[in-house]
Amino acid sequence: MGDYVWFHDVSWHATYAIYFFVIGLCAGLSFLSYGSWRTDALRPLREKAAYGSFALLVVGGLLLIGDLSQPLRFLYVLNPAYLNFSSPLAWGALNIVAFGIASVLYLLALRQGNEARGKLLATVAALLALGLPIYTGYDLTVHQSRPVWNTPVMPVLFVALAVASGSAVGAILAGANAAAQKLLREYLLWSTGAVGVILISILGTTNYGGSAQELTFMIMTTGTMGLIFVGIGIVAGTAAPIALLLAPFGRQQAGVVLAGVLVLAGGAALRYALLMAPQQLQTLY
Amino acid sequence: MSEELRVSPIETRGAPGKRRFAMVVDTRRCIGCMACQVACKAEFDTPLGVNRTWVPYKVVGKYPNVKKQFLPRLCNHCDDPPCVRNCPVEATYKVEDGGFVLQRYERCIGCRSCMAACPYNARFMLPSHRTYTPITNVVDKCTFCFHRVTQNLVPACVQTCIGRSRVFGDLNDPASEVSYLVANNATQVLRPEEGTKPHVFYIGADRNQTEFGRDAYRKPEVMELERSAFKRHFNI
Repeated sequence: MGDYVWFHDVSWHATYAIYFFVIGLCAGLSFLSYGSWRTDALRPLREKAAYGSFALLVVGGLLLIGDLSQPLRFLYVLNPAYLNFSSPLAWGALNIVAFGIASVLYLLALRQGNEARGKLLATVAALLALGLPIYTGYDLTVHQSRPVWNTPVMPVLFVALAVASGSAVGAILAGANAAAQKLLREYLLWSTGAVGVILISILGTTNYGGSAQELTFMIMTTGTMGLIFVGIGIVAGTAAPIALLLAPFGRQQAGVVLAGVLVLAGGAALRYALLMAPQQLQTLY
Repeated sequence: MSEELRVSPIETRGAPGKRRFAMVVDTRRCIGCMACQVACKAEFDTPLGVNRTWVPYKVVGKYPNVKKQFLPRLCNHCDDPPCVRNCPVEATYKVEDGGFVLQRYERCIGCRSCMAACPYNARFMLPSHRTYTPITNVVDKCTFCFHRVTQNLVPACVQTCIGRSRVFGDLNDPASEVSYLVANNATQVLRPEEGTKPHVFYIGADRNQTEFGRDAYRKPEVMELERSAFKRHFNI
């Protein structure tokens, strides 16, 4: 009582969480487009996934630039004289640009119907796409003073979320294609399972940590943030789709699509909660 | 500190031929007059709602044995600053001679990565409109009054401190007052577990304030009411 607490603002706002979601989808769709060169079942998704991935890259890039308080200075991160290679953001910017160039070349190869070049560029684009969730996760991991963020599994979690989100969109795009649905069901099941295992690991270690971890665990599991993280992210967006996909209904097209929708909602909620909740406690310090 | 104990090449504490400025805050002498906060605001035209230095307080103890415990806060000018590592465009940097952690306003892109990296909340975003100063929409922070110190003056907050709670000087100079205070008193730094090697040393700081507050255990609605009132206060 009578205390004077200075409330600080959070560093990164919800726009960044939307960016995480969009860029995860972008990477996931790029994986699917690459997968179409390896597996015939995914062939109908090749162009849709490639175009979708590029469109989401544009949206994500605009979100990222719009989130800067000096948006016109975004070119500074591409200036070799300014770049600081100890910052994950610098690597991320280079990764995004390289992925954008590879995506454009890949789309051109698809339009020209050049199979050999298309396959090569799909591989290059998928490898660069892998860097997108890795860098976004690493972007959080390097902040060692923040509970939850400071775990080395964060990039792995973001890769799993990207695969799950991409597979979910793929399941929706695949429509009545039974072969594609069957494969995407497997992808959804395993990637969502991986997300669940990593979340259990993060929550477990957070709950066993010091006071900052303990308080952050409380923030993440109670109130509105608890509803978003546990309710939508874990229960509705991770556990429910796994249960659904394992049930007989989950082998039907409607079941896979429903699971995909849940995974998308869960992926968005998880990214929001993982970004915002660990910042709440810091605002009180 | 001996050469052997330095683990990172960026660290300048104990480096021969270099100065390493530091501040000692003797909380036993702080009376909570907030003059440091005002002097800093006047020196830098810091806008409303943000501060380069601030003095939170907490009432500790149980009636009738109660007291107000102050903990003046500012950028810790870490010897191994995570904000410098995290800035993608080197808009924030460390001055080798003196250890100041400074900001290049013309280069800052406003990604707030440095704000996220700072364990001390020492960084803030400047608003888009200011009356007298054209520097807007970039991250700002305490500079240890670099412009004054290079003119052989002490920082504005130290100059104005009525209780001589804040003492500033070169820690690499064994004859300086800060060296004497650090050598002869039990000192604390904030969040030493982060490995940032902060260079603001506290004498007599209360652990109710140096650690994460128990405020977070209160009902979220109460916290939200207080936060709203705090924000409304500056919404003019």
